[in-house]
Amino acid sequence: MHVHERNPKRTLITILLFALVIVFGWITMKKPRFKYALTPQQTVDMVINHQGCFHPFELDKALKSKSGDVVLIDIRNSFDYAKGHIPNALNITATKLLEEENIKQLDNWKKNSVKVVFYHDDQLQANGTWMLFRQIGYSNAYVLLGGYEYYTLNKNNLTKEKGTCLKGSPGYDFAEVAKKSASADAGAAPQVKKKVKIRRKKKAKTASGGC
Amino acid sequence: MNKNYLFLTLLMLLLAVGTLFIHKDETFANQLKPEELLREITQPSRYVTTDQIAKMIIEKDPTLELIDVRPADEYNKFSLPDAVNVPLKDILTPEGQENLGIEDMYAVFYSNDDIMADQAWVISKRLGYNNIYVLKGGLNRWVETIIRPVEPPETASETEFELYQFRKAAGVYFTGGTQINDTGVKKTKVKVRRKKKAKTASGGC
Repeated sequence: MHVHERNPKRTLITILLFALVIVFGWITMKKPRFKYALTPQQTVDMVINHQGCFHPFELDKALKSKSGDVVLIDIRNSFDYAKGHIPNALNITATKLLEEENIKQLDNWKKNSVKVVFYHDDQLQANGTWMLFRQIGYSNAYVLLGGYEYYTLNKNNLTKEKGTCLKGSPGYDFAEVAKKSASADAGAAPQVKKKVKIRRKKKAKTASGGC
Repeated sequence: MNKNYLFLTLLMLLLAVGTLFIHKDETFANQLKPEELLREITQPSRYVTTDQIAKMIIEKDPTLELIDVRPADEYNKFSLPDAVNVPLKDILTPEGQENLGIEDMYAVFYSNDDIMADQAWVISKRLGYNNIYVLKGGLNRWVETIIRPVEPPETASETEFELYQFRKAAGVYFTGGTQINDTGVKKTKVKVRRKKKAKTASGGC
């Protein structure tokens, strides 16, 4: 008490110093450049509901209208792009998409609700990139179904497939194909598998109990 | 002066309470940063071919774990030998998660083609799992290459013919005779061993 009487501003100085430390920490704190906007569960929901699919018939419409509400991004390397690409497509290689200037452009498109459609040679190679951009909040990101391959093969008839997601369906009756020469075993096999599954569950229980 | 002490104490308490709200999402603690995830996504090393998988199944490789991400009804009709079923929609459930991240195991996702498997891969990768792969071409290519291989033209190279011979033999292995039953039993034994491994790990905790 006596100490404070000698320097009545002591408390004030302490508070100020304290505030200074906090402000300094706040300013120098490293903020992540990108944050996930979708939780893993929201991502699962997104893919099982086939959101963000850009169908070839939509591409046909976009190419004809030229209204500028769709931007095509060729995420292959510049060499493949130079060999051939969809008209008006921009070339940004997938590895460079998160660079500052490209993000600026993507933000701009997002603000103006321009659809950004990623494509690669096939749909598979653009799938991950599209999923990543959806997950970090670019709800205007789409993936071209069938990829560039489908486009080159069906350039003049892009409207023939409507509504389907083109991929994901079985091309064969697998059970029938596998049964062809082995008929009696088909019934026994699934039972064996189910047993295995039950055992695995036990494994998890022990692990959680130990910790 | 007591007023000052009181004020300081209250301020500190307020800040302490504040820290309670600065919490990280602990449910997925090993989550990759978006930049890291993009780097993983742009690498094609996650793709395995049907030939590689066929070879591993035939050799009874105990480190192979096939994960069928198709819906349960499709899985029940047909699946690859010893595959477990984790439909894409259930991948984040505890049942789905316990099939991932098993030490020394190579988890390979497959679906009818490869899109759904790749989607399962992206989600699992984000959660920080390693040793996960995607069967390129999926079951469709499995049928095209292993079950019904196409004979290469006469001008093809020797390695192509060797590959064809392998595929034909593999096709017989996967479709023919009572062999399928035998492999099923043997593989089950291997899996028992895997269980032991996990127990020792949990004992350490």
